[in-house]
Amino acid sequence: MTNHEKYKKAFSALQTSKRSFQEVENMAKLQKRTKIKTAAAVIACCIILGGTGTAYAANVGGIQRTIQLWIHGDQTTATLDFSDDGTYSMEYYDEDGNLKQSDGGGVAINPDGTQRPLTAEELMEEMDSPEVEYEDDGSVWVYYHNQSIEITDKFNEQNICFVKIDDGNKPLYLTVKYHNGYSYSSDKYVEPDEFN
Amino acid sequence: MRQPVQLLMEQYQNNLYAAAFNICQNQMDAEDVVQETFVQYYTSRKEFENEQHIRAWLLRVVINKAKNITRTFWKKNKCSLEDYMETLSFPDTQSRNLFEEVMKLPDKYRIVIHLFYYEDYSIREIAGILKLSESNVKVRLSRGRALLKDSLKEEWEND
Repeated sequence: MTNHEKYKKAFSALQTSKRSFQEVENMAKLQKRTKIKTAAAVIACCIILGGTGTAYAANVGGIQRTIQLWIHGDQTTATLDFSDDGTYSMEYYDEDGNLKQSDGGGVAINPDGTQRPLTAEELMEEMDSPEVEYEDDGSVWVYYHNQSIEITDKFNEQNICFVKIDDGNKPLYLTVKYHNGYSYSSDKYVEPDEFN
Repeated sequence: MRQPVQLLMEQYQNNLYAAAFNICQNQMDAEDVVQETFVQYYTSRKEFENEQHIRAWLLRVVINKAKNITRTFWKKNKCSLEDYMETLSFPDTQSRNLFEEVMKLPDKYRIVIHLFYYEDYSIREIAGILKLSESNVKVRLSRGRALLKDSLKEEWEND
């Protein structure tokens, strides 16, 4: 008997208690409801942000820029429209030639505690930072410029991953908490309890 | 192409469970992971090239989900591996010994050994599923085999 046959014979003892399609369908419906609830919460949040944005609408003078941007390890040309309210909308073509649109924005907290919208330069700096993506297949990836690094197996028992990213310029030290945010520095790893 | 999830459940449920168990070493976690994998397929709109592509994707997803669940702080380890093994009906003592020794292997060798000997995947295919280099898979397979040979002696062939 070959090792393949011996192995299969040994593992034939493992039999799952059969799950029905009904259970899978019910779980899928439950997940869909949770996603809709989350989406509703995000929309509510956007409305609040929109309200804040109107405070700056008086001096809106949009800037359009075409820049080279790294998206998921691929460099692409993106057109960005920046508004004075700290938001931007972006259009680019993905690797399959499909037009993609996205938008975002942010605010900075002044020393006196008041908020101000981020400038176009600050927004671009933010877009140039590393991204951590949790894929549908359960894998976890870090994207930074031309680097795409799978970190699925790199988390320790505390669910923390420390990863050094080097795109050929100055390296970045990234600390990732599994499904709980990340932080980076060009000097050293940020301690997990220093963020979130 | 897509295939009905019912059909995939019939075909691959036990294979996915064996792969998940290989990582979780826990019945309940492995069963949950298999169910979540089929839910993932059912809710995904991903198109596949052929049946082999679906099978490889299901295995990759179940392996990643099993790794994720073993990392979480709260594990459902209500039943130890030893207790669970007592409930399994092995065909003979050799099979039980082999199962036991495989379960003792380090995680990273165990899943490579499983995909090679149970799923009959080639080194190149395993590298694709686990997103590892072929040389890395070769090393893990070779070290896993050596450990099995060391513990099982003549019950495990040199291959």
